[in-house]
Amino acid sequence: MKGWTGHILRVNLTNKSFKKESFSEEFAKTWIGGRGFAVKILYDELKPGIDPLGPENKLVVALGPISGIPAPNTGKAVVAAKSPLTGFYGDGNLGTRISEQLRKAGYDAMIVEGKAERPTMLYIEDDKVEFLSADEVWGQGTYATNDWIYKKYGRGVGVLNIGQGGENLVRYAVIRSLEGRSGGRPGMGAVMGSKLLKAIVVKGTQPLPSADPKAMKELGLGDLKKVGAMDKKTGWSIQGTTGILAWCNEVAALPVRNFRKTSHGDAWNIDGERVNAARVATYGCPTCTMRCGITIHDKEGRESELDYENVGLLGSNLEIFELAQVASLNYLCDDYGLDTMSAGCVLSFYADAIERGAAAGDFKFGDAARAKELLRMAALREGKLGNLLADGSLRMAREFGHGSEAYAMQVKGLEVAAYNCKFIPGQALAFGVSPIGAHHREAWIIAFEIKHTTRESYGPEKAAKVIELQRIRGGMFETLVGCRFPWIELGWPLDNYPKYFNAATGLDWTLDDMYKAGDRIYALIKLHYLREFPAATRKDDYPPAVWFDPSNADAEGPIAGRCLEADKYDKLLQHYYDQRGFDERGIPTKELLNKLGLSKEAAAAEKYAKLSERAGQPQAAK
Amino acid sequence: MKVTVKLIGPLVYAAGFSEKKVRLPASASAKELLSRIGLKKNRPTIVTRSGKSLAPADALKDGDRVVIAPIYSGG
Repeated sequence: MKGWTGHILRVNLTNKSFKKESFSEEFAKTWIGGRGFAVKILYDELKPGIDPLGPENKLVVALGPISGIPAPNTGKAVVAAKSPLTGFYGDGNLGTRISEQLRKAGYDAMIVEGKAERPTMLYIEDDKVEFLSADEVWGQGTYATNDWIYKKYGRGVGVLNIGQGGENLVRYAVIRSLEGRSGGRPGMGAVMGSKLLKAIVVKGTQPLPSADPKAMKELGLGDLKKVGAMDKKTGWSIQGTTGILAWCNEVAALPVRNFRKTSHGDAWNIDGERVNAARVATYGCPTCTMRCGITIHDKEGRESELDYENVGLLGSNLEIFELAQVASLNYLCDDYGLDTMSAGCVLSFYADAIERGAAAGDFKFGDAARAKELLRMAALREGKLGNLLADGSLRMAREFGHGSEAYAMQVKGLEVAAYNCKFIPGQALAFGVSPIGAHHREAWIIAFEIKHTTRESYGPEKAAKVIELQRIRGGMFETLVGCRFPWIELGWPLDNYPKYFNAATGLDWTLDDMYKAGDRIYALIKLHYLREFPAATRKDDYPPAVWFDPSNADAEGPIAGRCLEADKYDKLLQHYYDQRGFDERGIPTKELLNKLGLSKEAAAAEKYAKLSERAGQPQAAK
Repeated sequence: MKVTVKLIGPLVYAAGFSEKKVRLPASASAKELLSRIGLKKNRPTIVTRSGKSLAPADALKDGDRVVIAPIYSGG
């Protein structure tokens, strides 16, 4: 087996033990790496119903066969566990030197089990694993923790760490790395915190596994340069991801006022032009030539690394249009280790609930000073309000009552990314059927909907586009593991990725082979969901109810008077299920599972809920 | 007639402006507008008016606001 190290590191924090385990070539070829490894490991090893914040949960850090190699944008890692936010499989990726260092240490993945007695930092160097005290930095933010680690080990090591949000089990706490990288939106940072695991540091000294290291290097380095040249030619990284804010504002897709509005006359104050003009530094992931981490000074003079999602959700969505204040909120989220997207949606939902009279409080849209206090309260779980905010918008809505769930901007518990789908049916579907909750990573089709079909359409072409992108974005890129940006933003040809994979492994795979593995992974995530929620229905794949509410339609602008239509959305959802081979609950059928080689996994799922034999034959839950 | 052109993202730097009014002959098309502002075609774009896509041959109207953006892919 070439291209993989063939080993997984298993660490138990309870008894401070570790083990180097081998995996088979069949496992590697079936699951590829990254998300594929994580989904399979957690399906086999986690018992449904466990407390995601208990010692029974496991954190998986997983890499793929191109992780860390010198090729375009391979400096990423996948982090996964049972999510404390959504209650089933959750994951995310982040830029980190772990991508290279863990593979150089001899592992394609690591599994962290149990719970430490005291705050702990794991230090891994090849076959050595040390369980070190993190008492000194427990209670500190991610920036101070990162600095503390760099002082000890230098800047070349791979680092994953958490802030106070993870320590205090905020359900949307993330894992952090480098200057501004975050990953694991569905509370992966809280899973680390529940284990009293403050940080993981990795140093590897062996060569990266590769079928033909010389050819791989020539191919990868040459392509890195080409991608860098494409970026310069197009100018993409001048504004990076923040460029899209002005466009969303123009086409009525911007989140404003808890997604109640789709554009705002003051949005230009926080758009990509303003972000670029305020730039003081630029950061990026390892092996990246299109660095997107545009950094500006926040209101307090600190460096804050921005992207579109955090400007959209901590800015326009809260009606805060002073860029330095938005940067402050972003800095606080990053330092506390909170997901900026969920945090923005939680705060906007709270302001909305107060306005509707569903909740008591003094927070109003536009109040940056109070927003800062609320982020602190959430991160430290201060008082009843801090605890409420720390649990995410779905749990808050259930606490508030008065029909509040309709205004909680989430799907399956995970808050919506910064695209307002009040009248964008295909992207609403993409959020609805994203396997881990409303993440934009899996599929994003707004430009397709506007340019290649119509906004009004609920036709099968939109379901097909969502599936096509899920296979590429949520499937191939999350398993190899690499960043999708060269392809999606610059048009770097997709067929380069099987080339990297084949050069690394010596295999002869095509894109279709990658997509099949992606389908297998999506099917298994759905089985994770079914095991945890045996009464699952298609309603679980609906976006927030407020998008269907005609009284919430825009009063003016491009989509005045329009909103999603429930009966049409349901037909679009059925197109998706039909094309995927899912039953009417949105669960893969036995026929599909067998075709994907998942008959054993299907049998395991049937201990908890019945599966349909084939599409069109839904089965009631047990 | 006069239309307002709004450029998005890197197109701002390529064309040297973010937003401006452009004078055009009556019923000029979207394609004519694009050639008038001298935007180099170094990447595909999406041209919209009132949130809907404009084809190159579509006629413009006085007072239109035309938005020209790279084809973003949502990060």
